[in-house]
Amino acid sequence: MKNPKYFKVLVSLLILTILSAFVVRLNIGLKAASAIILALFMLKFLGVAFYFMELKKAHVFWKSAVIIFVLLFSTIILVGL
Amino acid sequence: MDLVKTDSKNIYYPPGGILLWVIIFLELFTFGMALVAMVIYSKDEPKIFHNSRLLLNTTFGLANTVFLLTSGFFMAKSVQSFKANNSKKSSLYLKLTMLGGFFFLLLKSIEYYEKIAVGLSIGYNTFFTFYWMLTLFHVIHVIVGLVILSSVYFSLNKKNKSVALEDFEASATFWHLCDLIWLLLFPLIYLIF
Repeated sequence: MKNPKYFKVLVSLLILTILSAFVVRLNIGLKAASAIILALFMLKFLGVAFYFMELKKAHVFWKSAVIIFVLLFSTIILVGL
Repeated sequence: MDLVKTDSKNIYYPPGGILLWVIIFLELFTFGMALVAMVIYSKDEPKIFHNSRLLLNTTFGLANTVFLLTSGFFMAKSVQSFKANNSKKSSLYLKLTMLGGFFFLLLKSIEYYEKIAVGLSIGYNTFFTFYWMLTLFHVIHVIVGLVILSSVYFSLNKKNKSVALEDFEASATFWHLCDLIWLLLFPLIYLIF
């Protein structure tokens, strides 16, 4: 059974990870860099949860719970920095 | 085509089981609150946090993220093969998953050794107190995950296959939890401050 879906997700996650490490080297200020890093973090987190953990197939309650958590966490961190 | 199906659309049966998802949220909230506390403490000592963050090896953090994400990919492939009743492939992917976990632990050990060698222990400053507590707590999760996956691997390789899909999915979900926790830790500890 061949399914390139997981491989595409992995490549995307690795690219996002490398991008987040490069953002630190940019001279764009702490707030802007943090916002970009947190945005990339959210994408990676949701990528793992929805594809690798197959949350995409789960009830809307679980999908919403994960999205709310990740949004809440990132917002609190960004405001707190 | 998948030969085995589970009713994931039912609110009581998320992939991996409801109990594990309750644990996942408890873990995420625990780590999340600790990271929020870290950000609050950083307000009092911004220079110390910044200088301490620079003492960390970002390349190690990046490589460990790659190891865990790749390991998560193999775990997902292993579950997929298991559902298709392909035990051989599932077993192979499971081995690769565990290999990723071992590489993570190996690199983390090197990182810890380097830190201890130059005196950056848990009591060095507030940043390193958080660094050690959070990353060590995560390492414990990875070790527990590897023990669970080893147990699944040995059961899978028994002559009469005795692993239920629910158990296999639950083990995989726990392993992915290690990914999720690391994805929370990596940007905050290694990149932001």
